[in-house]
Amino acid sequence: MSSLVQTSVEVISRLLEHDEREAVLGDLEETGVCGKAALRDVLGLVLRRKLEAWKSWRPWLTSLGLAVPGSFLLMGFSLSVSQAYQNLLAPKVEHATGLTVGPGFTLLVCNILLLVGWSWTGGFVIGSVSRRTVRVSAISSFVPCLFCLSRFHVESISRFSLLLFLFPAIWGVRHGLRLAQINFKPAFFMALAVTLLTLPTWSTSGSWLPNWALSWPAWFLVVTAWRDRPRKEGSTWQPV
Amino acid sequence: MLGEFEYALITAAAGLGDKAYGAAIREEIEVAILRKCSIGALYTTIERLEKKGLLKTWMGEATPQRGGRAKRMVLVTEAGELAAKNFYDAVMRVSTNARWAMEKGESLS
Repeated sequence: MSSLVQTSVEVISRLLEHDEREAVLGDLEETGVCGKAALRDVLGLVLRRKLEAWKSWRPWLTSLGLAVPGSFLLMGFSLSVSQAYQNLLAPKVEHATGLTVGPGFTLLVCNILLLVGWSWTGGFVIGSVSRRTVRVSAISSFVPCLFCLSRFHVESISRFSLLLFLFPAIWGVRHGLRLAQINFKPAFFMALAVTLLTLPTWSTSGSWLPNWALSWPAWFLVVTAWRDRPRKEGSTWQPV
Repeated sequence: MLGEFEYALITAAAGLGDKAYGAAIREEIEVAILRKCSIGALYTTIERLEKKGLLKTWMGEATPQRGGRAKRMVLVTEAGELAAKNFYDAVMRVSTNARWAMEKGESLS
């Protein structure tokens, strides 16, 4: 029993930052606190740390404002891109008759780039804005995925086509966790490119809402890069 | 203005001087306030006070009696001392006419 409690203390304390974990476990060892008392102490500190992060607007923005709606919309867009690919290219590739580059093909390329741009910038914002709650944001985006996967019944398309956005999104999260922000110029050009890629959909009524719901992370990166520009001058990517 | 626990923590750390670190401060506080002090309250308050510039912390050396783990050393800054002094002065001023403060004054004299 006591070894189980001790193992729990070790495991739960891993949720603390390295230095704090060292100090806390050392304090417990030095004062001879062990067993349930140690578990209560460590659990209390971990809970305080986790709850503390939610006092800020950041985790709310990344989980409820971005991860949940973003994953729903990006799943829809992933499906749309998969369908376009299947209708336009798959039969031609299958028959090996060569590709016919027409307006449909250009639109497909634009949409693939847009999917990558939206997913990467969304992932980057999730990773960089609230690192401590990135696991909650990840769960917030996986729940809609599981919901949709369980209800997807289109025979001609694999259900995993819904998840095309995940690869660039995870790539963005990894970059966001590693880097604080992007320099102003690349952020601006990326946001501009993402916005320009949405141009073909502007003629469709009602598309502005999902467009902006997915484009705001790109412009958020521009605003944060612009805000910190004087301090960050001369460097490209800013490590944490 | 500081909170009661923040004042207790700064005062305990100031009293310990260069021997102020997590476990020692916790013990001092528990002796002074006659209550248990949780590690969660201690370390979150240390971090908050450090963000306010009232404390400085750094990782000290690892010792065998701590299982080879380092201490988080604490130093009260000038701003921290001033904040604690202001808190103490305010408590003394507001307590002047309180019965318990007067009784304490009489017993001392």
